[in-house]
Amino acid sequence: MKRTRFRMTQDAKDALVLLSPLLVLTGVFLVFPVASNFYYSLTKWKGLGTPVFIGLENYRQLFQDTRFYSSLKSLGTLVLYIPLGVFLPLVIANILRTGLHGWKAYRALLYLPNIIGPVILGTIFSVILSQVGPITEILKSLGYANANEFYMLGKSTSAINTLSFLFVVWMRVGFGCIYFLAAMSTIDESLYDAAKIDGTNKFQDFIHITIPGIRFSIEFFTVLAFIEVFARMYGMIFTLTGGGPGYATYTLEFGVYMLSFSAYQKGYASAWAVILFFFCAIIALVQIRLIRKGEQS
Amino acid sequence: MSLQKGRLWDLILRGMTHFMLILFSLVIAYPIYFSIITSLKSSADYAMDKVGVPTSPTIQNYIQVLLNMNMLRFMFNTVLLVGVSMVLYFLICTAAGFAFGKLRFKGRLWIFTFVLFIQIFPQMVIAGQIYQMISKMQLLNTYVGLILVWVAYFAPFGTYIMTTYYGSIPRSLVESARIDGAGVIQQLIWIMIPIAKPMIGTLGIIGALAMWHELPFSMLILQRQQMRTLTLGIALMKGEFGLPTPVLTAAIMATSAIPLVMYIIFQNYITMGSTAGSIKG
Repeated sequence: MKRTRFRMTQDAKDALVLLSPLLVLTGVFLVFPVASNFYYSLTKWKGLGTPVFIGLENYRQLFQDTRFYSSLKSLGTLVLYIPLGVFLPLVIANILRTGLHGWKAYRALLYLPNIIGPVILGTIFSVILSQVGPITEILKSLGYANANEFYMLGKSTSAINTLSFLFVVWMRVGFGCIYFLAAMSTIDESLYDAAKIDGTNKFQDFIHITIPGIRFSIEFFTVLAFIEVFARMYGMIFTLTGGGPGYATYTLEFGVYMLSFSAYQKGYASAWAVILFFFCAIIALVQIRLIRKGEQS
Repeated sequence: MSLQKGRLWDLILRGMTHFMLILFSLVIAYPIYFSIITSLKSSADYAMDKVGVPTSPTIQNYIQVLLNMNMLRFMFNTVLLVGVSMVLYFLICTAAGFAFGKLRFKGRLWIFTFVLFIQIFPQMVIAGQIYQMISKMQLLNTYVGLILVWVAYFAPFGTYIMTTYYGSIPRSLVESARIDGAGVIQQLIWIMIPIAKPMIGTLGIIGALAMWHELPFSMLILQRQQMRTLTLGIALMKGEFGLPTPVLTAAIMATSAIPLVMYIIFQNYITMGSTAGSIKG
């Protein structure tokens, strides 16, 4: 009994030493900034000088700001693409699972966007999709006289849809395939053998064995997609559309950037960041619950 | 007869699957292909033909990028920043992952949940305050400033991966080390880090790619042109010089060269490692 208690404290002492670098660094550079953000959201502040306390004024401004609603609308559009962004890699992984000839080559190509990264891809796509880019030239050679008008990043609706497709579907297919393939390899092969005896077809196997077998991974991948959309899009928006045309491809994350580093309204930007914080907090809680559930089963 | 028909049907299905996959792979690979062919064209050639392969390939764009545009300096900055950050990142994640995964202490679950919670916050929520702090610490335009911020921002996810890894290692290893009378730092150096060897690759892929592609923090902290990383250099290049597209694509290919070569060599390893921490079992 006594020895067990001694061991517990030894563990605690060791843990303190081992955890302190992580806790100090994240405390200073993550927790403190997130917390102080709440205070700054109640002030008028240009980033220099003393912040002036103005109560909820920033929030009142925010709920009247068209840029804010534009951001929410963009996020809505992006979220609508998530089902396709989950389903497509799931289907491809299921095809590759059965050992299609040359599947490694497909896997290698599909994963390429993850190696190149969103900043560079955004830059390349801004060239490819531009009015003087290859797409326009191909359309011209096909006989479209007004090919210049077919400028996908030039109109609000097509711009946000293009961005959504590129970021949620196109960029994530490769990672999704590999992710689902790895998950599918943990399914007990005898389940498929048993189904074969029952005379099921491939589609039935997919619905009744594969999907239930990797349910956790599908849910987790969906949560990851939400994280990407709400919290990791800045690099691609910055290089592909710069938030435009107008405010059509603003997201909350991009809005925070524009307000604090382009308009120097840091107090107001903090109010945006607080709203973004709550969205992310909800996603984080869903993710934590999922991980806990995964650990128990 | 019906067996043959079935086989034919199977062949058609297979052919269609390949066709779809090839089409899809081409769509995915097109931007890279476009960058490569464009980077080998002269500006005049590109103005004439934006789609086809270069008729008279030139490496002039690459020479310009490497000699006149500070690209080699950006490359040096990036390799140094990512390299030093990765060493710190690996040590911190290993130590913390070991504590969460193998030690039993009060509040373990709460602190671990907290780490999971903070790892998803977007850089933009903290960027404003980070900028203030870094400038107050006199660390603007320094490598140290960006390294600290990078490690702090990316370590929680790495810690999570290491925690799941150490969770699968038998606890008896810790006990035997204690009996030998090793202190916690010695345990870290002689036991925990050697055990973590198989994870170096995985952590390296996840951490190094994230840092390599990172934009907002480097943009805020490294404001002098000389200090830029490759990713930052590309992001700001387009607006800055009003650059001809062939030169821009040459810069892009030069930037992507290191990750691409690494990918070609370690392809299997990278694709498998990237899923760590998010698949059960």
